[in-house]
Amino acid sequence: MNTLAVLEVLDRDGSVRHVVPVREWPLRVGRALDNDLVLDDAYTAAHHFSVAPDDQGQLQLTVGDSLNGLQVDTQRLAAGARTPVGGNSAAMLVAGRTHLRLRLASHVLPPEQPLGVTRVLTQDLPTLALLAVAAALTQVFSIWLDSDPDTFVRALGSVSVSALTMALGWAGVWTLLSKVFTRLSHFGWHLRVLLIAVLAWEALTAGMSLLAFAFSWPWLTDFGFVIDFVIFSAVLYFHLQAVEPHHPRRTLGFALASLVLGVGVSAWRNVQSSDRLGEELYMNHLFPPALRVARPVDTTQFLQGVAALQATLDEKAKEDAAD
Amino acid sequence: MRAHLQRLVAALAACASVCASAQAFAAAPVVAPEPAASAPVSLSARKVYEQARSQLVQIRTVLKGQASQTSVGSGFLVTKDGHLITNFHVVSEAALKPDRHELVSVTADGREAPVQILMIDVRHDLALLKMSGAKQPAAYDALSFRREADKLAQGERMYSLGNPLDVGFAVIEGNYNGLVERSFYPQIFFAGSLSGGMSGGPALDQEGRVIGVNVARRVDGEQVSFLVPAVFASALLARGREAPPLQGAAWPIVTAQLMEHQAALTERFIAQGWKPATHPRYTVPVPQDRFMRCWGSSEPSRTGGLDFERSDCVMDTRVFVGDFNTGTLATRHEAYDGSKLGTLRFAAQYSASFRNEGFNRLGKQHQTKPQCHEDYVDRNGLVLRAVVCLRAYKKLPQLYDLSVLVTTLDQPQAGVQGRFDVQGVSYPNALKLSQHYLDAYAWVKAP
Repeated sequence: MNTLAVLEVLDRDGSVRHVVPVREWPLRVGRALDNDLVLDDAYTAAHHFSVAPDDQGQLQLTVGDSLNGLQVDTQRLAAGARTPVGGNSAAMLVAGRTHLRLRLASHVLPPEQPLGVTRVLTQDLPTLALLAVAAALTQVFSIWLDSDPDTFVRALGSVSVSALTMALGWAGVWTLLSKVFTRLSHFGWHLRVLLIAVLAWEALTAGMSLLAFAFSWPWLTDFGFVIDFVIFSAVLYFHLQAVEPHHPRRTLGFALASLVLGVGVSAWRNVQSSDRLGEELYMNHLFPPALRVARPVDTTQFLQGVAALQATLDEKAKEDAAD
Repeated sequence: MRAHLQRLVAALAACASVCASAQAFAAAPVVAPEPAASAPVSLSARKVYEQARSQLVQIRTVLKGQASQTSVGSGFLVTKDGHLITNFHVVSEAALKPDRHELVSVTADGREAPVQILMIDVRHDLALLKMSGAKQPAAYDALSFRREADKLAQGERMYSLGNPLDVGFAVIEGNYNGLVERSFYPQIFFAGSLSGGMSGGPALDQEGRVIGVNVARRVDGEQVSFLVPAVFASALLARGREAPPLQGAAWPIVTAQLMEHQAALTERFIAQGWKPATHPRYTVPVPQDRFMRCWGSSEPSRTGGLDFERSDCVMDTRVFVGDFNTGTLATRHEAYDGSKLGTLRFAAQYSASFRNEGFNRLGKQHQTKPQCHEDYVDRNGLVLRAVVCLRAYKKLPQLYDLSVLVTTLDQPQAGVQGRFDVQGVSYPNALKLSQHYLDAYAWVKAP
């Protein structure tokens, strides 16, 4: 007998847990034992729904005597409702807490996917190695920069051990999450995300500090925390892609929300502690003098800028004294 | 840049310690009387104390409606009408928060009477009070001031009276040692042991005439105590003898007196100029030490890194205004040599040193948050990064704290970073002092 359809019971991560071949109509689904698929789900009815062709031969889905009803793709159906099924692609059904997929023999199969194209981010071992070397070199450079000649080697030892531990720990936690939710570890992916983030953060903060110094743009580093949150949100987004691959929009929304929240809370905290949105009271990134581009002013002109602060100070002193 | 905390703490403690408060009692074991203080009192000390006993009072600041004291000090009668002299810091709570505090005088024989403030002098830490009891005028015994023309010789015996730590009235014998050096306002250096609670008490000569008023001591030394010269007390009495009692909080008076103080300070500071030869390459502003003290140190790196020399100049004088001190100035600089580090590492460490500067001396109940202006400044070819930050006082309108940060940017592996702080200064003077400080930076000779 030909298989007319298959009804698949899906796991939370979208993988198929159980397949019921359908060789004759009707197909009945529910908690009662006389169903073709017996559900073990307290939120479903004894006879939750059934699928059978009508007089014209069109397959119809009928919702049984259910309190919670049934979701067919994006459509919610109450008890007793009917809807034609068929079309060209599988129907996604949600009964209670059970996710089901109904595939008909008449459906057009999507083409075969090549292996390993999901989640690229330059996915091969040499680029991963390259990223690791580049990130390690930036870390060595920054340790060298901040240490004295006699303390460099010791600092290198202790910092690289802790950096390595933290990097592996970070990638490890995300790998664990991936494993729990997708049954795949994605360790390489998570490591890539981390390495690229480290490189991006180093490049952006160094670049912004240099620009702030060269052109005397204090605002650039004053709002440097925005960059921190942008990178953090991007990291969150890409890590989550390997944890919740089926909800890209939700993941993006979560990352954007964490960006807005992080920037907002930081700015609010800055206002509380220093009455200003930024975090740096004054630009404090000094580079070799040859890298300065901005022209210096004379003291008279500089002091005009100082004189202009008085109005703000007096206003704040007055409004606070009134409290 | 790090501050010499030890000296700072000592100086702050010196100002606050004589005013005995709850904290002073807690700290009592630390400031236990030295052996010299408990040495047998000479005959003349007995005579001086017997003569002055009836003119001496303890001044208590009492919480209204609660009858518990918040601080105690001493004071003495100077007219037959019941005028009293004490320190401003003894009565500051009553002067600045009169809605919650009142003053009570207690004589050696235990009689209590309310007193009122007629006039204050925050610059010299003095206050003129008057008995407001029912006693008839012209009924008080009074101490007289020693004439200014009668110079004292160093080593001459003198007697400081007061009520240390609320233990009981006491006479402390010590020696006159001239005026304190490098003090902004004249102060007498008294080699005797003052304790908390004696603030505002008189220091008398052998004839029982007032030489000065007990005000402070150094906690990091032995028998290093300070008196306000009597001339300022007699001037305050002359000014305020007929004045009505103070009404309301004294902040406007404090502000006006701080205005005079900062005008004098600015004028004298600018007039004294800078020391020559402070750095081989630059003229770095280090003030003359007429009323400041400069401490220097050389700190070569022990790990083959950044070598630097530093100089800290501070004033001993500061004006006490209730919950905080103000009216002082300080300069500091560090000269860095990073030739062992190379250009990039020097820049990183020079930057880190420029970064860790704070501007939060007082809490937000006293001052606004800092407002800063920064830019590259050209000093005849020498390029500086300059930052000026100001904070406004909330209860002292038109007075500000000024901080100027300067870092030189002409050498890839060496440089100087300086900081200039002025407390309680008017805006025009803040600008004038900033200019004075910035203009002091230059090359010794153009490279």
